[in-house]
Amino acid sequence: MTGASARGGANRIAGGSQVDYGKPLGFEFEGRRYEGLAGDSIASALAANGVWLLSRSFKYHRPRGVLTMAGHDGNTLVRVGNEPNVRADRHPISEGLAVKGQNYRGSLEKDRDAWLGRVSRFLPVGFYYRAFYKPKWAWQRLWEPWFRKSAGLGEADLAAAHGYFDKAFGHYDVAVIGGGPAGMSAAAFAAKAGANVVLIGESPVLGGALNYARFDVERAGAAKTRGELAADLEKSPNLTIMTYAACTGWFADNWLSVVRGERLHKIRAREVILATGAVGQPAQFRNNDLPGIMLGSAAQRLIRLYGVRPGRTAVVVTANDDGYGAALDLLDAGVTVAALVDLRPESGTAPCEDAVRERGLTVFNGYGVSEAVPVRGNRHVSGVRIAKIGERGAVGDGGQTIPCDLLCVCNGGMPAYQLALQAGGRLGYDDGRSVFSITGLGGHLHLAGAVNGALSLEAALADGRRAAWRAVQALGIGGVTEPVALADPTVQRMRPHPIATHPRGMDFVDFDEDLQVKDILNAVAEGYNEVELVKRFSTVGMGPSQGRHSALPTARLVARATGRTVGEVGVTTARPPVSGEKLGVLAGRGFEPERHTAMHHRHLEAGAQMMTAGLWWRPAFYGPRARRADAIREEIAAVRENVGMIDVSTLGGLDIRGPGAAEFMNRIYTFAYVKQQVGRARYVLMTNEAGAIIDDGIACRLSEDHYYVTATTGGVDRVYLMMLWWNAQWRLDVDITNVTAAYAAVNVAGPQSRALLAPLTEGIDLSGEAFPYMGVREGLLAGIPARIFRVGFVGELGFEVHVPTSMGEALWDAVTGAGTEFGLRPFGVEAQRVLRLEKGHIIVGQDTDAMTTPEEADMTWAIAKRKPFFVGKRSIEMRGRRLSKRKLVGFTLDADGPLPEESNLVLRRGEIVGFVTSVARSAALAKTIGLAYTARDASEPGAAIRIRLSSGGDVNGVVVAPHFYDPENKRQEM
Amino acid sequence: MDPAGQTRRSFVYRRLAEAGAVFGAVADVALAVHYGDPDAELETARRLGLADLSVLPRVGFKGAGAAKWLAAQGVSLPEVNGAAAQPDGALAARLGPDEVLLLGGLDGAAGLVGRLDEAWAEASTVEPRGYPVPRRETHAWFVVTGAQAADMFAKLCAVDLRPQSFANHRIAQTSVARANAIVIRADLAGTLAYHLLVDSATADYYLPVLLDAMSEFTGGLVGHQALQALLQ
Repeated sequence: MTGASARGGANRIAGGSQVDYGKPLGFEFEGRRYEGLAGDSIASALAANGVWLLSRSFKYHRPRGVLTMAGHDGNTLVRVGNEPNVRADRHPISEGLAVKGQNYRGSLEKDRDAWLGRVSRFLPVGFYYRAFYKPKWAWQRLWEPWFRKSAGLGEADLAAAHGYFDKAFGHYDVAVIGGGPAGMSAAAFAAKAGANVVLIGESPVLGGALNYARFDVERAGAAKTRGELAADLEKSPNLTIMTYAACTGWFADNWLSVVRGERLHKIRAREVILATGAVGQPAQFRNNDLPGIMLGSAAQRLIRLYGVRPGRTAVVVTANDDGYGAALDLLDAGVTVAALVDLRPESGTAPCEDAVRERGLTVFNGYGVSEAVPVRGNRHVSGVRIAKIGERGAVGDGGQTIPCDLLCVCNGGMPAYQLALQAGGRLGYDDGRSVFSITGLGGHLHLAGAVNGALSLEAALADGRRAAWRAVQALGIGGVTEPVALADPTVQRMRPHPIATHPRGMDFVDFDEDLQVKDILNAVAEGYNEVELVKRFSTVGMGPSQGRHSALPTARLVARATGRTVGEVGVTTARPPVSGEKLGVLAGRGFEPERHTAMHHRHLEAGAQMMTAGLWWRPAFYGPRARRADAIREEIAAVRENVGMIDVSTLGGLDIRGPGAAEFMNRIYTFAYVKQQVGRARYVLMTNEAGAIIDDGIACRLSEDHYYVTATTGGVDRVYLMMLWWNAQWRLDVDITNVTAAYAAVNVAGPQSRALLAPLTEGIDLSGEAFPYMGVREGLLAGIPARIFRVGFVGELGFEVHVPTSMGEALWDAVTGAGTEFGLRPFGVEAQRVLRLEKGHIIVGQDTDAMTTPEEADMTWAIAKRKPFFVGKRSIEMRGRRLSKRKLVGFTLDADGPLPEESNLVLRRGEIVGFVTSVARSAALAKTIGLAYTARDASEPGAAIRIRLSSGGDVNGVVVAPHFYDPENKRQEM
Repeated sequence: MDPAGQTRRSFVYRRLAEAGAVFGAVADVALAVHYGDPDAELETARRLGLADLSVLPRVGFKGAGAAKWLAAQGVSLPEVNGAAAQPDGALAARLGPDEVLLLGGLDGAAGLVGRLDEAWAEASTVEPRGYPVPRRETHAWFVVTGAQAADMFAKLCAVDLRPQSFANHRIAQTSVARANAIVIRADLAGTLAYHLLVDSATADYYLPVLLDAMSEFTGGLVGHQALQALLQ
């Protein structure tokens, strides 16, 4: 075990279970090249090379190094490539990996901001709440720029390429969180009982403490137990194992967020077993944050997992038997153990203790650490000062200094309570016995192992089985014998190190936020006497380690300062995430559904500039962006003078079928439909219960019992839902189907449209006599079954052709082909907006708002007043008795004047009386035309209208009837 | 056979052509029969394959009397959210008490779907018989095949579609990749398979999304021939 290995760093020793000694890998840290082994984490590989300084602390820029080797602390945050805040003790090395430290100015070794630690007394807790506001000029010019530069952990690379992240759902009967002995035991039991189980472990391999802790002198038991558990798991076909996966949150109904690599797993489990273990606790004394001071388990992980000797001369401070196991491991690794400092007045009788004494180690019983002595620049520990623990439980003065380059702290652990508390559990603490308990969990959550107070290996294994048994019972799986409960013989493993308040401080409670003992005490002295308040005032627990190591000492300090027990003080609310989550993981792979019409690719091929309309993409106009205005003008001219074609597939389509169809139409729309003839189309206007316009379209009566109704592109889904909702009450014998996606449609419009389409149609006479305006015909067009409507949104002779979507492109191709000789032009939404404005047709949602009544929009012609009922009728009548102050009107402006924009305000005597809803320059009318709300008493044709431009100036126009173009409708009805 | 020369075209024929599809006539429509290597595609189909069947016949019936009328026509109807195979290879998927989707057989023959279309049009209007729904137009039709199909769906859909939880011929009317979809498990002669029916206007969106989700399993597009081979 002590034999140094030739490769992978000078501190490399044999016996690392996770590294491959035959596969050296070269990587860079701070620009220097190092050699590690495959399986190394960044931190272990650096430790193997004698590099202990990994990063600088947030506030005082103090050197920081390995603390837990478990990814539980913020000491090891480094930058990998362009990714900041990577945990060096979790991230594996790879050939050529480039790693840098964080939070320093100059170099990691010589940080120009390290002086901040020396002025810490001028930066007390909450200092920023009462400084920097005087003198007035200083904040913006001095402090804010400096804070912006100093704030934040790591630097985001704004030029970084997008990463690939995604998400996956998982469904299990039982989710076991924690890959240690209790979790493995629970998973094996539940899987054997027949449940579908997922076992989630944060380490690359299962086993937890079995992989590194010393449970006995010979260290035979752990390997045997691990082997047995692994064999049990291997035998389970209905078990999914997720290693290197972090469960970051528990949400309602056992919804778990599990991050593994670049993927967020959204796991639902009927039963959840939390076997999250315990989190080793650091001790508080002066300079307790120096590199070289680490948890005993961290040193053991270095030795056992990575084959790295964690130091040359060690002192171990322990509150329980764990320190003796750690001391034996250190000895085996070739480390000199200068002293074993046992907080207990008398040691126990565990076998490891006897072995330690047999190997001649000096044990100081009833002692604690009062101070660590740094090397120059605080870059490493060079010795520890130990002293007798006094009667009042404090480390006394005096004592002796023991030189060392490694201090292992074995204080015992605190339950990893975060997930349990997120799920509604309560953390209790028995101050006398230093025992934690978690209570109050719901019926489908179970605790197992150290998190449940089962601390010995045997107890943890038994507890895992019992938790699994309870879960299996809850699943209703019968015939499983109840496993025996095992009382834990070593209940008191936690014995917090006395908090030694040093007059010169640097006794850190929270390493992430550089908070010292006095900071917490000062916060309480300021009146923040509850932990939730202390947290908010001091930021304790808000850093990357989320209070794992600071919650308990903070509770102890607050308890001490307020004369309460730790149990009474408690810990702050646990919220997800338990550990850091990348924004990319939360975002996942972006799913942004979009809808394309059948002719979508033809538009692209024709050079269309596309725009969105809800989820749809529609051509705005055809041609380069630079020619936008010309293109729109040409498209308009084509429709007015010749013939154009627009894709109107995005219009909503609804089939209303059944004996009650006419009655249904009569109730849902404002107009009258009972007497509508088969083969005719009729305008539809929909109002809501408040009498406001919410949709429009046309209804084509295809048979007595069948209306095919169009709705607006953006409104059809809501219209469809409303129809279902109303008919759920009316119970009319009618079927409503949303067939929007079933039909592709084009509107062929312009004086030449009839001539263009006539040769293509079969069985339909397009002549004005046979197929009058608002007529509906079914037949073949270019061999494609088609519904053709003579309707005119743009005010020219036109035909709207609806065909099955799968044939939409063939329709487009056929009409395009036939249109060549007519100079057919496709036109887009922009041209259509102008064309319809020239006709004074409103667009629901653009020219109407949530309050617009048919009366305001001059559309009472579309209301069948004698109908006994339609949705909105009562409100329309009530609102009709007391008219609003506004009215939607047409207006004209000089064509060569400024062009207002939609939403520009309409003013009268300085008061806002309305706003512009649509506006465009009309080539056909040689004017600027528009629709706007204006004051009702100034809405008669001829009245003046004043519009406030976006530029701030005003433009004056005249109110006119909105039917600007061809008011007699001769063109569309020819 | 050039799909762009046909009256009826798949909603995604361009994307299939870009992926190297060779189109051939199946019944009277142009279908991607293979992508150059039918043998390899059979292996892909067993692992994780995606085929577009959008041009093949299908129809729906819904509304009062639909189920009763279909039963009278000899269609064997399953429970709601279940599917039942028909003797001619068609599959009747019951989406609601009175809502049924009929997918024609892979051979593309009009078969039951065609017969029901005609029967409905000719039936007496006195008895309620539901109303036809143009499912061939409202929905694109994909089929996802292979042992890893459920793993792929786990990335796109919140419903547990794993074979042990989602029995053959079960239906999920749900959201896949954030858009509405109907998922019907219908194994092809022992190979795990799911019909995926999505709003036809979103087909162009779905195809790359599905292929992206499949890439980690080295899944990909397979032609009609590979599906037929699975059945043999």
